[in-house]
Amino acid sequence: MSYDVDIASLTEKYRDMQVAAHPDRVAAESEEVKMRAVQFSSFINEAYDSLKDPLKRLAYILSLNGLDVEKVSQSDLGMDLLMEQMQLRESLEELPKDESAIEDLESIKKDVQEKQKQRLDDISASLGEQDFESAKKLYHEMQFLYKLLAEIEAGEEARLGY
Amino acid sequence: MALLQIQEPGGKPAKVLHRLAVGIDLGTSNSLVSALCGTGVETLPDAEDRHLLPSVVQYLSQGQPLVGYEALPGLVDDPENTIASVKRLLGKNLSELKNLKQLLPFKFDGQADESSPAIATVSGSKDPIDISAEILAVLKQRAEDCLKGELEGAVITVPAYFNDAQRQQTKDSAQLAGLKVLRLLNEPTAAAVAYGLDSREQGNVCVFDLGGGTFDVSLLSLQKGVFEVLATGGDTNLGGNDFDHALAQWVKQQSGNNEELDASERARLNQLAVDCKHQLSEQQEVEISWKGWASTISNSDLAGICEDLIKRTINTCRRVLRDASLTTSDIDNIVLVGGSTRMPVIREAVADFFGKQPLTDIDPDKVVAIGAGIQADVLVGNKSASDFLLLDVNPLSLGIETMGDLVEKIIPRNTTIPVARAQEFTTFKDGQTAMTLHVVQGERELVTDCRSLARFELRGIPPMVAGAAKIRVSFQVDADGLLSVSAEELSTGKKAEIQVKPSFGLKADFVEEMLQSSHEHAHQDMELRSVKEAQLEATQLLDAVANARAADGDILSEQEWQQIDGAIATLQKEMNDSSANRIRELTEELNRCSGDFAAKRMDLHIGQALKGESIDEVVENSP
Repeated sequence: MSYDVDIASLTEKYRDMQVAAHPDRVAAESEEVKMRAVQFSSFINEAYDSLKDPLKRLAYILSLNGLDVEKVSQSDLGMDLLMEQMQLRESLEELPKDESAIEDLESIKKDVQEKQKQRLDDISASLGEQDFESAKKLYHEMQFLYKLLAEIEAGEEARLGY
Repeated sequence: MALLQIQEPGGKPAKVLHRLAVGIDLGTSNSLVSALCGTGVETLPDAEDRHLLPSVVQYLSQGQPLVGYEALPGLVDDPENTIASVKRLLGKNLSELKNLKQLLPFKFDGQADESSPAIATVSGSKDPIDISAEILAVLKQRAEDCLKGELEGAVITVPAYFNDAQRQQTKDSAQLAGLKVLRLLNEPTAAAVAYGLDSREQGNVCVFDLGGGTFDVSLLSLQKGVFEVLATGGDTNLGGNDFDHALAQWVKQQSGNNEELDASERARLNQLAVDCKHQLSEQQEVEISWKGWASTISNSDLAGICEDLIKRTINTCRRVLRDASLTTSDIDNIVLVGGSTRMPVIREAVADFFGKQPLTDIDPDKVVAIGAGIQADVLVGNKSASDFLLLDVNPLSLGIETMGDLVEKIIPRNTTIPVARAQEFTTFKDGQTAMTLHVVQGERELVTDCRSLARFELRGIPPMVAGAAKIRVSFQVDADGLLSVSAEELSTGKKAEIQVKPSFGLKADFVEEMLQSSHEHAHQDMELRSVKEAQLEATQLLDAVANARAADGDILSEQEWQQIDGAIATLQKEMNDSSANRIRELTEELNRCSGDFAAKRMDLHIGQALKGESIDEVVENSP
C-alpha cells in the first residue's frame, strides 16, 4: 500500500461516493433505507477523514499492520526526539509575550514545517520498505510537530489580538 | 398534494403528483417563505405583495396575536406584550436571557422553570417556542394560500452556529405550528446553494452572513454540483441589533442625556438608530437629532462606533480560514447574506480582509429562503431538475465529561456529517450497573466552560468487577446536526437502555461566545488541563501511600517515615496552586522517597505468601 495519496483524486472519489450514498438522495424512501444511507454516508465520511490527513492515514496503515498509535512504548520515543522536543519548547517559552516575538515565531514555524516535510518523506520511505516500527516512531514525532505548530499559531493569534 | 393535470394529445388527462414543500428562513428580524413556482423557487408574498414578514409578535388581551407588520407599532406602544427578535431567546435559560446586553422590556414568568423561561404576556405565559410558532404559522398559511394546497414539509434554516438546544427548540416550534420539518438547514449553506445553482460558479466560496441577531461565516467548495462545507464559524449573539444598540448608546451619550429611559423611550431611540443606520447605506452622511441634540454622522463615524463588532466578524473569518487550512487568496468569491451586510462599513471591512470585492448582486434578504426552498423540493421527494448534494459539518465540538472536570472530545468541530464515532468506557466500582454520561458542546478543555447538552443514563450494565465491563458508546450526528446516542456492553452484547435528559442550562455568567473565548484561553486551557492531570496523579499517589501505610506502616522506623512525611507535606501544600511541572516534580519526589517502603512491602508480602505454601500452591493461587 502506497502512503502517498493524490488528494485531488481522493476528494473526487469521495464526492462521487457521497452522491451515491447520501441520505438526501433517498429522502422519499422508507425509514430503513434512509437509516442505512446515514450509516453508509457516515462511514464514507470517516474513511475520507482518515485518508485525507497524513497523520491519520499513517495511524490507519499502522493499525492494519497490528500497531496501535494510542499505545506509546519506550522504544517509540528516542533520545533525539526528546531533545528536539525540549529545545523547540524552550525556544517558544523564551519568547516575549507581545508582538515583538512574531518574527521569531514565524521562523520557528518555518523550521517546524520543514521538519514536517522531512518526516513525511521518511514515513513514505519506511512504509515503502515495510518498516512499520520506524514508521510508528515517526508517527509520534509528527504528532508532536503538529501540536507544536498549533501552539505556535495560537501564540501568534494571541499576540496579534485575534 | 396539488395535482397538475397534463393533457396528452388527444388522450385522457394524466395526473402528475407534485408534493408541496417550502423553504422557511426564520430570521431574527424578518422571516420569509419560498417554494417552487413554475420554473424556479421564489419567495411568496402576502396579500399586500410584501415578501418579508417582520419577526414580531404582539399578544392581545383578546383574540389571536398580531404577527408581522401589524405588530410593529406595538414595539413602542405595548413593549411588554410585543416581542421582536425571539430567535435570540431560543435555547437559553433565564439567567442567560437576563444577561443579554439588550435590555428586554418583558416581564418574565416567575412560575416557569429556570431552564425554559417564558414571558408573562397579557394573553398568558408564552415561551420562545410558542412565539416562534406564531410566526411559522403565518408563513404556513401564506404558503398554503399561494400554492392552493396542503404542505407536506418544510426546510427551516438555522444559523450554522446554533447549538443543539437552539436547533431542538426551532424544530419544536415548527411542530407546534403544524409543519413537518424535512431538514434544519444551515443558513450559509442555503445561501451557497441558491448562489451556486444560479451562478454555476465553481471554486471556494465564503458566505458572510450577518443577520439581525446572529453571525455565521462558512467556507464551501463548489464542484460539479457538490456543495461541501469546509469549515464554519460564527457568533449567535452578534448581529445588526448590536450595531443598532451601539449607535443608540452613542447617540444617548453624545446628547448628554444621562437619565434612565423607560421601555417606550428606549424603543424609540432604538428605532432612531435603525433608521440612521439604513440611511447610511444610501448616503455617506446623515443628520441625526434626539432630545434637543443634533449632529451629523458619517460611515467612518459608524465604523469607529462599531469597531469592536466589526473586528469580531473579521476575526471569525480568520479562524474559519485556519480551520479549513486556507488563506484569503484561496477564496474565489464572497457572498454577502443578511440585511446587515448592506452597511458600507461591513462591505469595506470584508473587501479589505479578503482583498477582493464581495458579490453584491444577490438579494441578501431572500437568498437563504430560496436555498431552503430548493432543498425542500429535493427532500420532499420531487425529482428536482438540479442535481446537487449538500455536505455540511457540525459547527461545535462534542465531548464527554471525564474525571476531573475535563472534556474528552469525541467529534471535533467541522467534521462532515452525518458522522458516527464510538468511545469505550468501563465501570469504576465492582458490580456497577449504571453510568451517567455527560455530553457537552464547545471548544474549551473544562466541562464548566462548555455548554451542557445532555446527560445520558445507561442502565442495565451487567454487574462485573470494576474495570471489567467494556461499554461501547456510539455517538451519531445526523444530517440535521442533532445527536443521538446508543450503547452496548461488549462482552455480553447487552444493549444498555439510555435515557436522555437534555439540559439547556449553563451557569449564569456564561455569555461569551464559545469559540472566541476558547481561542483567547487556548494557552490557559492547555495549562489548566495539564495542571488538573498532574493533580489527579498526585492525589492517586498520596492515596496509594496512605493505604499502604495503614496496612504495613510499621515496616519502617519513625526516622524513615520522616523523609516521606516531608515529601507528602510539600506535595499537599503546593499541589493546589502550582504549575503542572512543579506538581509533577513533587509527585516524582514522593515516589522516589517511598520507593524503599514499596520494595520492603513487596518482600513482606511475598514472604507471607510463601510461608507454609509450596511453590506449586503459590503458582496455582496467583492471579
